[in-house]
Amino acid sequence: MKNIKCARCNEYLVLKKTVFDYMGRSFTHEVPCCPKCGKVFIPPELAMGRMAEVEEQLEDK
Amino acid sequence: MKINSDAGIIKKTLSVCPVCLKRIDADIVRCGDEYFMDKRCDVHGAFSTVVWRGNNTDFKIWDQYTVPQEMHIPECPTGCGLCFGHRQKTCCALVEITHRCNLQCPICFAEASGRGATEPSLDELYKIFKNLVSGGNTFVQLSGGEPTVRDDLPDIIAAAKEAGCDTIQLNSNGIRLGADPDFTKKLKKAGLSFVFMQFDGTDDAIYKKLRGAKLFDAKCAAIRVCGKNLLGITLVPTIVPRVNDFNIGSIIKFGLKHSPSVRGVHFQPISYFGRYPNTPSNRDRITLPEILCAIERQTKGDFAIHDFVSSACDHPRCGFHGDFAVLPEMQVMKLTQQRVSSCCDTPDAHIRNRNFVARRWKRPDETDENTDMDMGIDMGIEMDYRDMNTFLNRVKTHGFTISAMAFQDAYNLDIERLRQCSLHVAHDGKIVPFCAQYLTAAVL
Repeated sequence: MKNIKCARCNEYLVLKKTVFDYMGRSFTHEVPCCPKCGKVFIPPELAMGRMAEVEEQLEDK
Repeated sequence: MKINSDAGIIKKTLSVCPVCLKRIDADIVRCGDEYFMDKRCDVHGAFSTVVWRGNNTDFKIWDQYTVPQEMHIPECPTGCGLCFGHRQKTCCALVEITHRCNLQCPICFAEASGRGATEPSLDELYKIFKNLVSGGNTFVQLSGGEPTVRDDLPDIIAAAKEAGCDTIQLNSNGIRLGADPDFTKKLKKAGLSFVFMQFDGTDDAIYKKLRGAKLFDAKCAAIRVCGKNLLGITLVPTIVPRVNDFNIGSIIKFGLKHSPSVRGVHFQPISYFGRYPNTPSNRDRITLPEILCAIERQTKGDFAIHDFVSSACDHPRCGFHGDFAVLPEMQVMKLTQQRVSSCCDTPDAHIRNRNFVARRWKRPDETDENTDMDMGIDMGIEMDYRDMNTFLNRVKTHGFTISAMAFQDAYNLDIERLRQCSLHVAHDGKIVPFCAQYLTAAVL
């Protein structure tokens, strides 16, 4: 993550295993994270890819 | 028949006289923990049919449904073809490709027989598929009779595919699928998506009684062959009181054991239409809440009533479903969330349902990723299903759905339910809800 910096802390983001809560379940995935403030960046390809797939599997028809 | 005159009327609806099929008023009445449909025909008298038993699943909570203001559609259901009064679009269109069958079951909604009859040609079927697709219906069920008696079934599937159908379901008793592996392979290659296989139990005594033959080995063979061809199979038991209602838990366990070849179990409480031996009494009926209770009781709580929700696309009293993924050692991950609101009034409910069904029942083709994951499990590596990739992979490869659909017959037909139906039959150029198409007058 050499090319993405945290806007607030000016630190380069690092990949970190992060827990997501969604529809009563917890999931983990490695996402870019600021080593100082802990905020994470969700890349669009993750949001529209894997995360959308998880949502699709859990959402009822 | 005695009407429950002292019982409380829960709601009013419309039905038909089981004898002459004339439309008549009907009441849903409560009598203790049982709910009945009571109705009276001027000519043929009174009828009272159980529609709901037990209080573990509360009728009123389950039956949350906005009844349409205009119930009196003049020709519903006798002149049926979808009209302005129908409230749901087509999720899945059933096409009968033959009336022939290689069994002669004592019960058969389609009244199929071993004898030959005219059946649509490949060209005629292509036109039917094309018409369905032009109306936006891309999910077809090939049914019968027994569709596999047609040697040109691979061509029929290819024709459906060419016409634009993207999901093709085969309704079959499985006999030929297991006995003729080359034929099954051709079906898969032609584009078949998955199989709904009649599977009434794990004991030959059940098949002997319901189908007139010992079929359990044939069912196992079909699962093996379909498994080799990566064709998902959903087990479809017709549940009959005192014949196989005690076998519900064993059927589920059998399905889990054969995951991922088996994608789930779709229970159908017996309905009395088409061919059946005797006039049914209420003892001969099993209702949806009884099936739910039996699932919980007979699986010793591995599957609980609250793991399931009512139909969202069809009327809530028409069925239920619960979604799971099978983990190693036959452990189960539960996926269904109790719904806060229903999507049944949204304009795209039928499309959501169609996509959902196809996703759950179709077996994904093998990928390197899947294989790697399975190898990890085989090597005894404990998988972390909280990991998004591992979770998704397992849900896709080992998804398992337990569902039920209660078809209606002339005794319990509720037009409120019928008007919400999304399972339709393509017949004579018309689209007709399943339970209207197969509605038959009582055999007295």
